[in-house]
Amino acid sequence: MHSQQMIWNSQAGWTPSAVNPEEVSLVFYFGPREMLACGKRYRELREMFPAAHLLGCSTGGQINNSDVTDEEIVAAAISFRSTQLRLIRREINDPLQSRQCGEEIGRALIDDRLAGIFVLSDGLNVNGSELVNGLVDAIGPDIPLTGGLAGDGANFKETLVGGDCAPRPRLVVGIGFYGTAIKIGHGSAGGWDLFGPRRKVTRSAGNVLFELDGEPALDLYERYLGPEDSKGLPGSALLFPIEVHDPEQPDSSVMRTVLAVDRKSRSMTFAGDVPQGWTAQLMRGNFDRLAEGAADAARQARTSLQESGHDDQFSILVSCIGRRLLMGQRSTDETEAAGAELGSDTLRVGFYSYGEISPHAKSGICELHNQTMTVTSFTEVEA
Amino acid sequence: MHRLFAKQIARATDATGKVDIDQLAALVGGAYDEFDRDRRRTDRSMSLMIEEIDGKNRNLQQLVAERTCELQARERDLQAQNVRFDIAINNMTQGLLLYDSSAGLIVCNERYLAMYGLSREVVKPGLSLRDLVLHRKEMGTFRGDVDEYLAAVMHGVAIGTTSEILTETPDGRSILIVNKPVVGGGWVATHEDVTERRRSEERIRHLAHYDALTDLPNRALFHERLREELARIAPGDQLAVLYIDVDEFKTVNDTLGHLVGDELLKAVGSSLRGCTKSCEFVARLGGDEFAIVKARVKTPADVAHLVARVLKSIRVPFDCLGHRVTTDASIGVAMAPEHGADLDQILKNADLAMYAAKSAGRRTWRFFEPEMDARVKARRNLEIDLRQAIADGALDIHYQPCVNLHDDGITGCEALVRWRHPERGMISPAEFIPIAEETGLINELGEWVLTKACTEAMTWPENIKLAVNVSPVQFRSGSLALKVIAALAASRLPASRLELEITEAVLIRDDDTALAILHQLRGIGVKIALDDFGTGYSSLSYLQRFPFDKIKIDRCFINDIAEPEGSSCIVKAVVNIAAARHMVTIAEGVETLRQHELLRSLGCEEMQGYLFSPAVPAAQIRQLLHSTLDDKAVA
Repeated sequence: MHSQQMIWNSQAGWTPSAVNPEEVSLVFYFGPREMLACGKRYRELREMFPAAHLLGCSTGGQINNSDVTDEEIVAAAISFRSTQLRLIRREINDPLQSRQCGEEIGRALIDDRLAGIFVLSDGLNVNGSELVNGLVDAIGPDIPLTGGLAGDGANFKETLVGGDCAPRPRLVVGIGFYGTAIKIGHGSAGGWDLFGPRRKVTRSAGNVLFELDGEPALDLYERYLGPEDSKGLPGSALLFPIEVHDPEQPDSSVMRTVLAVDRKSRSMTFAGDVPQGWTAQLMRGNFDRLAEGAADAARQARTSLQESGHDDQFSILVSCIGRRLLMGQRSTDETEAAGAELGSDTLRVGFYSYGEISPHAKSGICELHNQTMTVTSFTEVEA
Repeated sequence: MHRLFAKQIARATDATGKVDIDQLAALVGGAYDEFDRDRRRTDRSMSLMIEEIDGKNRNLQQLVAERTCELQARERDLQAQNVRFDIAINNMTQGLLLYDSSAGLIVCNERYLAMYGLSREVVKPGLSLRDLVLHRKEMGTFRGDVDEYLAAVMHGVAIGTTSEILTETPDGRSILIVNKPVVGGGWVATHEDVTERRRSEERIRHLAHYDALTDLPNRALFHERLREELARIAPGDQLAVLYIDVDEFKTVNDTLGHLVGDELLKAVGSSLRGCTKSCEFVARLGGDEFAIVKARVKTPADVAHLVARVLKSIRVPFDCLGHRVTTDASIGVAMAPEHGADLDQILKNADLAMYAAKSAGRRTWRFFEPEMDARVKARRNLEIDLRQAIADGALDIHYQPCVNLHDDGITGCEALVRWRHPERGMISPAEFIPIAEETGLINELGEWVLTKACTEAMTWPENIKLAVNVSPVQFRSGSLALKVIAALAASRLPASRLELEITEAVLIRDDDTALAILHQLRGIGVKIALDDFGTGYSSLSYLQRFPFDKIKIDRCFINDIAEPEGSSCIVKAVVNIAAARHMVTIAEGVETLRQHELLRSLGCEEMQGYLFSPAVPAAQIRQLLHSTLDDKAVA
């Protein structure tokens, strides 16, 4: 397997030039919505890599090894020796079709040689939890499934996904890796700190949260954010993600981050389900511990790959927009911490997302995460 | 240098190594802003959180306070309940123990401790059943094998059923122990002192089968025993049933009182028990009737020997409350299977045999004979016919004149009932009057005679009186005086022309009711005569108890009045007594002129008998009375 990095910016265009572009079978690219929306960058990539599957999305910031940038598109071109790929894309017009969409992609990709799936999805018009559930329903719990929801900075207006097509809204793309050569490692961690009392979800419907302990959820958030940050809703709500768990199964906790707020109904829409009756607790971030979380995710991915004993690796880092909003310039603390774990010779590209997809660190069951750093590492062994 | 500042410098430095100060300043300023924002957010969230946690804490404290109050109230309730529970279990009449599933004591009430004289110090929660029983054994309040007892208790508990164990304590109490498993293992044991209850049950059982007065088996037990004996008569054997009726017991009761009567029955019972063997079963059937069952009778002589023993033992004079009472018995014997093998049959036959012995003059015994049955049936038929005859008015009244011994003039007539049976012809009053008395028909019959005779007497000359016999049974109804008044009123016969004849039987019992009736009758002007004087007891005290108007000297004294050593002196004595008490004397059964003369010389005032006229039908007496009147008129 060989991987090479490319950058596009308005001054220099795509640099450096690709080496053996005809051998490249897969290109990941992540960029600001405004840079991708015209479709020109896609067409340039298609011209450069005529034989490759092109998979990309809009973001809340790009990860380029240890750097975090807003003004460029980052891409990685991968040449596999023997691994086969299959790319499936589905339009989605209604979040209620999320599970069905996941099932369809899963069914289209599943076969005996399927070794793993990486998914990119629209970040605003999809119920990520249901999408993942649909995929798991089709492929089962044992095949590694990772990926993320496309982002739109702190705007939450429109996200784009492209899969062998120009990036556009309402698209979900999955790419399957086939064969025994490909090895995929993954890790996911948050590093957020719980704070404040435990609260009960007293009213919710799917991923829409109405009340915590009988009080409108938005009231609570506005109180904690203060008048200044409240103006920045829903983006500013990312500063306070929540951890929810079934009171009967405290180990099953997952983090949820806000996608939208409805000031009229005082409700908040999260990137995954917030079931009524579950326990919820606010979280807040500390730069150091968030960076430690990223390191932990990278360590998990590296450890699972090292078991295969191979070094030539390529990693995709998907981190949550909430982390970026909180850490600001210190966001590089976490990309550096992850890089330190993965090794400086491992090519790392990635993006800040509206939701991360990865198996749960404890249960091993694939879920939609929020506010985590998710690391997926690829390598190829002798077939 | 701070890592971030190094990065900011690197970012603000171009390819030539020149640092863009403005960009650097913007980056550094931005970082400061970020830090400030983060600090403000942190402060805000921390203070809000503290506020919130304070609030939660206050809520919790309030909740804890409320819960504590609730718990305290609940504890108070529980204590009150415990006190009530203690009162309840310690005031039970039963001893109570509650055990846990491993046979350890949980609760024991005061009654239990008191029942067995145990100490609370020893019998306390946790004590095992085994140790408790061993302790009781040591203290002498448990009798029996400890292991066996424990096994019995634990078996019931193990299979989850309520078990009952009746134990006897060394001091003779009966204790009923009920072990009832409870939900969740363990069991509750109640100990109840049933000594009194068992004694009462025993007494009730005894009373149900034994006669309270004599303590002999009663009729129920007698029947039970007889039924058993009848079922196991060996081939060739016979079974004898003796019905024993104490002769004249009623007289003893009437003359000496019930207490003496009861003493006599007790003495007879005791004698019977004493004279019989173990294979002879003695019972009191009620009243003055006793019975004996003798099994394995080989020959009639076996029965004869038993009867002899019985009669001998009864004939011994008894001392009853200071009275020396001599009595005798009439005994009927029926044999099974000879006289019938079923219970009812053999009982009926023995009864018939006893009545036969009575009819034969008492003081004797009879084996059952099939003819006895026939006689009883004939008597019953006669009763049916008599009832019909009274209903049909088929009886008749004859009248016998009474004559003045001085001038042979008729003073009155005695009404005598006559019955001509359509098949058997004339039936003697001696045969049907006792039947009428036994069945109560005498009341109806007596009323009819009285009414009819009064009406008839109104056809006679005014100086002629009417004598009517009244049975002692009629006195028992209590309405005799009313009936007499009604008959007089209906016939318009003056009361002074009616004379009622009663026998001493009316007065033999010290009967205030009968005396009261006699005084009522006397009060309206009716005359009262004492009939059959000289027979029976003829106690002179009767004459003192009621002032009769007339005494009728029984015919047995008249029959031999003319004989040397005859009854003339007795008649004389009676006449004298009567004269002294201003009573008229009349002699019955006068058949000869000699008797007539003697009576007149002895001072007797009136006579009745064939010498003058037998009893004749009403028409005939009417004719006789009017012809006599005519004679007088002619004279």
